[in-house]
Amino acid sequence: MLKRKKEQTVNEFNQVVVGNSLTKEAWKRLKKNRMAVFGMIVVIIYAIISFSASLLPIYPYDESVIDHQHLRPSLTKTSGELMLEQQYKNLYFKAWRAGRLVLTPEEDEMIEALILKNETNKVWDYLYSKGEAQREAGTFEFNSSEQKTIDKYVDKINTEIQITINTLYYMKDGKKLNLNKVDYDTLLALYCGEVKMDREVVETALTKEITSQVTNTVKANLGEDATQDDINSAVALEMENMSRKDFESKACESIIGKLETSAKRTIEKKLKEQIAESSVEFPYKGMYDVNDHISANINASLKHMRRYFLGTDYLGRDLLSRIIYGGQVSIAIGLIGTITSVIIGILVGAVAGYKGGKLDYYLMRFVDIMYGLPYMLLVIICMAIFGREIFNLFFALAMVSWLTIARMVRGQIMSLKNQEYVEAARSMGASTSHIILRHMVPNSLSVIIVYSTIRIPAFIMQESFLSFLGLGVQAPYASWGSLIGDGVTSMTLYPWKLICPSIAMIIFLFAMNFFGDGLRDAFDPQSKNQL
Amino acid sequence: MAEEKKVLLEVKNLKQHFPIDGGGIFKKQIGAIRAVDGISFTVHEGETLGIVGESGCGKSTCIRSLSQLYKPTDGEVIFQGVDLCKADKKTLLRLRKDIQMIFQDPMASLDPRMTVRSIIAEPLNIYNRRGLLDHKWTVEEIEARVEYLMEKVGLNKTFKNRYPHEFSGGQRQRIGIARALALSPKIILADEPVSALDVSIQAQILNLISDLQKELGITFIFIAHDLAVIQHISDRVVVMYLGKVMEISKAEELYHNPKHPYTTALLSAAPIPDPVKERSRQRIILSGDVPSPDKERKGCYFYDRCPHRMEHCSCHIPPMFDVGPEHKVACWLYDPSVDKSKKK
Repeated sequence: MLKRKKEQTVNEFNQVVVGNSLTKEAWKRLKKNRMAVFGMIVVIIYAIISFSASLLPIYPYDESVIDHQHLRPSLTKTSGELMLEQQYKNLYFKAWRAGRLVLTPEEDEMIEALILKNETNKVWDYLYSKGEAQREAGTFEFNSSEQKTIDKYVDKINTEIQITINTLYYMKDGKKLNLNKVDYDTLLALYCGEVKMDREVVETALTKEITSQVTNTVKANLGEDATQDDINSAVALEMENMSRKDFESKACESIIGKLETSAKRTIEKKLKEQIAESSVEFPYKGMYDVNDHISANINASLKHMRRYFLGTDYLGRDLLSRIIYGGQVSIAIGLIGTITSVIIGILVGAVAGYKGGKLDYYLMRFVDIMYGLPYMLLVIICMAIFGREIFNLFFALAMVSWLTIARMVRGQIMSLKNQEYVEAARSMGASTSHIILRHMVPNSLSVIIVYSTIRIPAFIMQESFLSFLGLGVQAPYASWGSLIGDGVTSMTLYPWKLICPSIAMIIFLFAMNFFGDGLRDAFDPQSKNQL
Repeated sequence: MAEEKKVLLEVKNLKQHFPIDGGGIFKKQIGAIRAVDGISFTVHEGETLGIVGESGCGKSTCIRSLSQLYKPTDGEVIFQGVDLCKADKKTLLRLRKDIQMIFQDPMASLDPRMTVRSIIAEPLNIYNRRGLLDHKWTVEEIEARVEYLMEKVGLNKTFKNRYPHEFSGGQRQRIGIARALALSPKIILADEPVSALDVSIQAQILNLISDLQKELGITFIFIAHDLAVIQHISDRVVVMYLGKVMEISKAEELYHNPKHPYTTALLSAAPIPDPVKERSRQRIILSGDVPSPDKERKGCYFYDRCPHRMEHCSCHIPPMFDVGPEHKVACWLYDPSVDKSKKK
C-alpha cells in the first residue's frame, strides 16, 4: 500500500523527478553480478579486519615467545600441548635411533628412505604414532632421564605464567590509591618500607640513578666527539637546573618501575603456589593483593595455554596476527600506490591529451623512455638510494607506475576532445581546466576506476616481490610478501608458514580481480562477453 | 522585404585549411585539406540564413570557424564591428556570449554525466564566474532562469534532475536549444539540428526554432542537407560546394529559379511528396564524385562535374555575379563577356 502511494506522488507537477545517473545504473548492474559483489564483500572484510587489527583480540605481531618457535597450526590444541608433542616426537626418534623403539625391518627401511628424502615431518609423525601405540601396549617405556625431561616440560607448561600489570594501588586505611597519582613523599615512604631501608640511602640511590639517566641523554645530544669534561659540566648544569618537581616526577617513575618489577615477581611466586594448590583459574583478570600495602590490577595467563590457529614463525610470533598486520601494509601499499599513480597519470595524461602538439609529443616520448627502463630495477635503485622504509616503497612504486595510466587517460581525453559536448563547452567559453575537470575527467573516470581496481593486485604483487627479495618492508613489520619470503626458507619442515600467508594473499587478489572485472562490466556493458 | 536590414555578421573570404602531417619522427606539413576555401556572405539581423550542400562540402567547418572553435586560416569574421579572428581572448569571450551553437547529435552534444539543470546552467555559470554577465547572478536566479528556459523550449521543468540518456531525441535537442538560449545570444549557429531526428520530431523542433525566433528576435544560421527543411525555415540560402559558395539567394527565389548548375542538380535530387509528380520528375544526375579538397584549384570548383562546363571555367575562378535582387551566382554562364560556345 505504502509503495503504491509513493509511486503516485511522483507524477505530481510540482515534484522534481530524480534522474538516474550513469554511475547509479552502473552500480545497479554491479549489484546483479554475484561474483563481483562477493569479491567486493571479501575485499571490504579484509580491509576492515586488517585496519582494525589493533582492536582485535590477537597477540601482538611483534611479541615473540622463544619457547613457541615453529608451532604448527592447530584449532584445538594449545601451544603447551603442541610443544609437548614435539618433545615426544624428538624422544621417540632418539629412542628409535638408539634401538629402544623396536619396529619391523620393513618399517625401519621405510623410515631410512624417508630420512634420505628429507621428509622429516613424516618420520616424526610416523614414529610418534608408533611410539604412542607401543607405550599404550606397554612394549615401550621411557627411561628415567627421558621421563625427567618430560616431567620438567609438563611442569614448565603448567606453571609458566605471563603477567601484565595494568595499575598498582596503594592500600592505606582501607582506601585504594592509584600509585601514579600518589605524591613523592608517600611513594618514597612506601618504597622505603618495602625494601626496609633508610630514606637517605634510597634518596641517594635515586639521585645517582637520575644522574646517570641525564648523563646518557647528554652524551647522546653532544655526540661522540665530546670530552669527558664537557659531559661532566653539562650534566652538572642539567642537574642544577632541574627543579624539585622534575626531580620528583623522575624519581616517582623510577620507584613505580621498581615496585612493578618486584610486584610481578611476588605475584608470580604466589600464583605458582596457588597453581600447586590448584586454587586459581586462568586467565586471571582483576585485582591481586601483592602485600598489605600494595595491590595490583593484573592480567595473568598461562604462557603455554596460548592458541595459535595458524601456527608460529621462527621467533615464536603468532602467524595469524602477522598475516593480519601484514595485510594492513600490503593493502595500504596497493591503495596508496594506486591513488598516487592515478593522480600523476591523470594530470600528465589530461594535459598531454588535451593540449596536443609538441607538449603531447615530448610528454609521450618521455613516457616511452620510462617504459623502456626496467622498472623493477628502478624501484630497487630507488630503495637502495633513499633507504628501505615503507614510505620510500610507496614513493618508488608510484613513481614508475603512472605511465600506463597517463597513456590511457591521454587516449580517453583525445577521443573525448572531439565530442560535441566538449565543443559545446568550448563554444560557451569554458576554460581548459573547466573542460578537463568538469567534462573529460568525469567521463573517463569509469575507465580509470576499473583500471585502478585491476592495478591494486599488481601493486600488492610488486610489493610482495620486493619484500621477497628483502627490499620491501623491514622487520618487525610484516607484509604478505615478506611473510611468504620468510616461509620459503623453511618450506619443507614448516609448510604452513608459506601456505597460510599465500592463501590469505591469493583470496584477496582473487576477490580484487573479480571485483575489478565486475566493475568493468558494469561501467561498460558492451564489453561484457555475452551471447 | 525591401527595407534595408542591419548587417549583424559579415564573413569575408574566410578560409579554413587543415594541415596534413607527414609521417616520421619530425612532423612536417605536406599539404592541407581546404575544407572552407574563401567564402563571403553577410547575415542580417533577425533573419535565418540557411546553408545547404552535400556531405563534406564544408558547412559544419564553416560554422565552427565562425564561432572560433577552429582558428580560421585566413579571412575575416566581423561581428558587431570586431573581427573575431584577430580579437584578443577577452574581447572574444565577451562577444562569443552573443554567438551560441546548437549541435547535430543531441546525445553527443550533452555531457552524459551532467543533469539537465547543470547542462543548461553551464554557460550561465561560466560567464557568471568570469564576471561577464550584467551582474553577479545568485544560485536562485540561475535556477529560475533554467526553469524559465525549460518551459520556453517545451520541457517539463520537473525533469531538471534527470540525465540526458533518460530523454528522447527530440527532448534532448530541446535541451540543447535551451542551453544555446541561456545567455540570450544575438545569433545562434545551428549545425544540422534536425538531421538526427525523425521526421515528425523534425517538424516540432523546426517550429520551436521559428517560434523562438519570432519571439526573441534571434538571428539563425541554419545548416541542413535537407532542402525541404531549409526552404521551410530560412529567409536566405547559401549553397556550398567543396568549400566555396556557389549561389546566394532568397529562399523562394532559389527554389523557383535556381541559376547555378549545381543548385539545379541539387534541387532536382530532392523527392517531391506527390507520387504522380514524383514519377515525372526530371533528375539531373551529375557524373563522378566530389573531388578531394586537398589540392589548390585554378578554375571553377564545380568544373569536374558541371554539365555546362566551358573552356573558360577550367582556368578562371568565377566571381559572384548579380543575377537579380539579392541573388548572386558564382558561375561563368552568367558573365556576358565569356564565350559560351566553347563547350568541353
